[in-house]
Amino acid sequence: MRKLGAIFLATALTLGLAACGGDSGGGQELSDGPVTLRFTWWGSDARHQRTQQVIDLFQKEHPNITVKGEFKDWNGYWESLATTVAANDAPDVIQVDELYLASYAERGALLDLGTATKHLKTADFDAEALATGQVDGKQYALPVGLAAYSMVVNTDLLARYKVTPPDDGSWTWDDLKRIGEQISTASGGKVTGVQAFGFDAGSLNVWARQNGTSLYDDKGNVAIPPAVLAGFWSYLLDLTKSGAAPEASVTIERASASLDQSGTATNASAFGTWWNTQLTSLSAASGAKLRLLKMPGEAGARSPGAYYKPSMFWSVSSRSKHQAEAALFVDFLANDEAAANVLLTDRGVPANTKIRAAITPRLADTDKAAVAYLDTLEVGQAPRVTPNGASGIEAILKRHTEEVLFGRATPDQAAAAFIKELQAEIDGA
Amino acid sequence: MSALGELRSIRGSTRGSPRKRDNRAALVFLLPWFGGLFLITLGPVAASLVLGFTDYNLIQPPEFNGVDNFTRMLSDERLHNALRVTFVYVVVSVPVQLACALGLAMLLDRGLRGMAFYRSAFYLPSLLGSSVAIAVLWRQVFGADGLVNQLLDLVGVQGRGWISDPSTALSTLIVLNVWTFGAPMIIFLAGLRQIPVMYYEAAAIDGAGRWKQFWRVTLPLLSPIIFFNLVLQIIHAFQSFTQAFVVSGGSGGPSDSTLFYTLYLYQRGFNNFDMGYASALAWLLLVIIAAFTAVNFWAAKYWVFYDD
Amino acid sequence: MTDLKQRPLPVVAVAGPPVRRSGVGRPLRGAVKHVGLILLALVMLYPVLWMVVSSLRPNDEIFRSPGLVLDGLHTRNYGEGWDALASPFGHYLLNSAIVVLGCIIGNLVSCSMAAYAFARLEFTGKRLWFAVMLGTIMLPIHVIIVPQYIMFSQLGWINTFLPLIVPKLLATDAFFVFLMVQFIRGLPRELDEAARIDGCGHGRIFWQIILPLMKPALATTVIFTFIWTWNDFFSQLIYLTDPQMYTVPVALRSFVDATVNTSWGSMFAMSVVSLVPVFLAFLLGQRYLVKGIATTGGK
Repeated sequence: MRKLGAIFLATALTLGLAACGGDSGGGQELSDGPVTLRFTWWGSDARHQRTQQVIDLFQKEHPNITVKGEFKDWNGYWESLATTVAANDAPDVIQVDELYLASYAERGALLDLGTATKHLKTADFDAEALATGQVDGKQYALPVGLAAYSMVVNTDLLARYKVTPPDDGSWTWDDLKRIGEQISTASGGKVTGVQAFGFDAGSLNVWARQNGTSLYDDKGNVAIPPAVLAGFWSYLLDLTKSGAAPEASVTIERASASLDQSGTATNASAFGTWWNTQLTSLSAASGAKLRLLKMPGEAGARSPGAYYKPSMFWSVSSRSKHQAEAALFVDFLANDEAAANVLLTDRGVPANTKIRAAITPRLADTDKAAVAYLDTLEVGQAPRVTPNGASGIEAILKRHTEEVLFGRATPDQAAAAFIKELQAEIDGA
Repeated sequence: MSALGELRSIRGSTRGSPRKRDNRAALVFLLPWFGGLFLITLGPVAASLVLGFTDYNLIQPPEFNGVDNFTRMLSDERLHNALRVTFVYVVVSVPVQLACALGLAMLLDRGLRGMAFYRSAFYLPSLLGSSVAIAVLWRQVFGADGLVNQLLDLVGVQGRGWISDPSTALSTLIVLNVWTFGAPMIIFLAGLRQIPVMYYEAAAIDGAGRWKQFWRVTLPLLSPIIFFNLVLQIIHAFQSFTQAFVVSGGSGGPSDSTLFYTLYLYQRGFNNFDMGYASALAWLLLVIIAAFTAVNFWAAKYWVFYDD
Repeated sequence: MTDLKQRPLPVVAVAGPPVRRSGVGRPLRGAVKHVGLILLALVMLYPVLWMVVSSLRPNDEIFRSPGLVLDGLHTRNYGEGWDALASPFGHYLLNSAIVVLGCIIGNLVSCSMAAYAFARLEFTGKRLWFAVMLGTIMLPIHVIIVPQYIMFSQLGWINTFLPLIVPKLLATDAFFVFLMVQFIRGLPRELDEAARIDGCGHGRIFWQIILPLMKPALATTVIFTFIWTWNDFFSQLIYLTDPQMYTVPVALRSFVDATVNTSWGSMFAMSVVSLVPVFLAFLLGQRYLVKGIATTGGK
């Protein structure tokens, strides 16, 4: 029974300890002895293979450091990460998504990389790119890749139904709807013009920014006016009712499925909103000719909707016992050309401008197109990082979009409910 | 038959005498279980109870907040919706699943040719369990381009995305649950196997037909197993998680129409870093399940037949 | 599934108790029953067949070509899927097999012992303990897992199979305890009362009378423990963070990423591969289920 008591005590203590964070990590001196780093990421099998190759390269350069890769699927990743952080057993190097960055950083789970500059260089990153990884002025995360929201068009489908491709330098949301209706009509309903959006933060951000506002204000409170939000859903409802987009249940089925099952990937929709870096995956799945277009409405927008979104970040656990080695490894991932030649655009178009230039000649055509899109896009200032507590934004958005599409709530009702719910999550964190 | 008579008389003689307690033997037989209870189960269970009275975000230390978590439940509309969804699921899917399982078990228990093939075929879906593939497979049946719609198309009926329509999504999950009725079916089969043949022989000698044998022998003797399946399937259905999680991609959608209680609890705990509230929710669920189980045990007195 | 039909079936079919067969034999009714059952089996198997078919399609055709018609056999998925992750897939199968074996032994031994006590012994606080046992399966695992993870990590058990197996050795799976209790209570008490009059202790009654009679329940326990452990995702994901220790369900999930191309073909191929052991276990187990009757019938 004494042992039992000891375990209880240890358990209770750990529940409290995990938060302390800070500088227990043995400073920024590299160890001469053998060091084992744990490195965790989510992804599919292709990413696991590439990442393992990079790990092997790093270990060859640093024979005393062993990197243990822990790969997971998206959902399992966050369950596992939350549990290990709670148990003070987090991996040393952590791949973080923008949605969760502030939630982990503000609670002290991540290391301020500003303290690790001895081994981690960030000179080849734009200041704007670096800013996406800052929370409260501290660099908790280093952006891996950048992506921009785009409209992917299937030009094969456009040609088949004899529809002229729009000029994305000037097109409007009404143009999208009109062209979408044309395609739906021409195909007799077999193909729909547009795959409706409204399930990811990207589409909402672009809409808000074009309307001269933003989803959050600088303090991290919900800032989007209800009227703008209602306009967003009214437009989606119009797309669905006019037949430009499929009926609600089909839209939702495709939206909640994986990329391979989407309307774009199965050639069931001519237009779809995606991150530009997904072009290669989409092209491989659809087998058709796909092109990236700027989002509609950009020309007449009150401020540019487009922005750079970090595809993901590298972070180091604040409780890591090997912070120097962890920083060294992140440096390798972010700055080493050999590593970049293996990873290519698997985690997005590299945010490191030097690396981006170095790998571009080696890319496939679709990846080159994605890089070109990013380079030519006129972007505004990046939106504030998703506030602590708002990591569920996409789930909340999706639910309210569903309510609207199925007529269970009017756009106005949904807008009010969405703002209230999201703000409550932020306040509760 | 004389053996049966002899056995009956022995039982008669022991029934009246007070049984002595076997505390020592019980301790020996229960030693592993007690070990598991005190060393493994109880600690985390107690911890979750304590966490139910805290604000705990998994990363920072928990902070006591009294009964806040429980008062919050009163105004939590998503929770109320989750309760409603879960109750509907339990009330519909458990009886349907058990009836199908028992019916097929009875059918397959007969000396039908190819019995092993059918049994395997009916069991195969249950083997898939919570596989990731389920999400994709179920879409092949109930999706917009799925089997159901293809069949409906043949008769000229316009289908829809059954999984993604809030008015039918829960039904497709109930069907999914019924589809995997293999577990209770196997337990019924095992139960049927265990009914001593001598009872049927005795009933046959008494001139009972097949139908009468079912009511007089099978049903009473199978009642402990039916009871077991009922109790466990209800507990299981209240905690139903994986299928809804996999099919809806973790959202409980569309429009929260498949937001099972544990799915909501999971979202609060892991997606929203709200483990204190999730723990409180878990204990509310425990109380609900315990109440249902207690009613079940109380009602069992009237219909479950034990041979002791 | 045609190969299944050609399997030799009689082993199972002959073993049914003869008494209950009297009604069958009218050919027409039999045929109707078979047609019904075959149709039902087809409907039930459609998703499984779709998975097998998809495992034989090139990746980009899986979601573009509906139905079950194959253009050719794209068997490369199996080879690619086998080698897609850090270790060959056989490694994950082996890990799963170790966990499954440990859990089966644990459940068989510890649950049957506990069940005997609850079903046949009179002891202080029996009803209370029984309620406690049932209570332990009423809390969702999601709120237990964090404290439990902390406990096991204090013991240094993370990335071992111990957190998965040891609890089973300690009868924490109340499902099986309750299952066996119900089966034991269904056994005629006369048998062990008679043995007791002959001077048998509880150990011998348990070992020589109860255990042999509850073979169907034990077979059920084996089948279910196998299937459920084989498919269990959540606890295996949490306790096994090192890919070397990954089990089949954890490995299978790491094929899928919803935001990029997923090797669906490989994933389905490995899903099919991982179905084989459970299916074999089920086939063997159900034979054993039937042998169980022969014993009971003979008594």
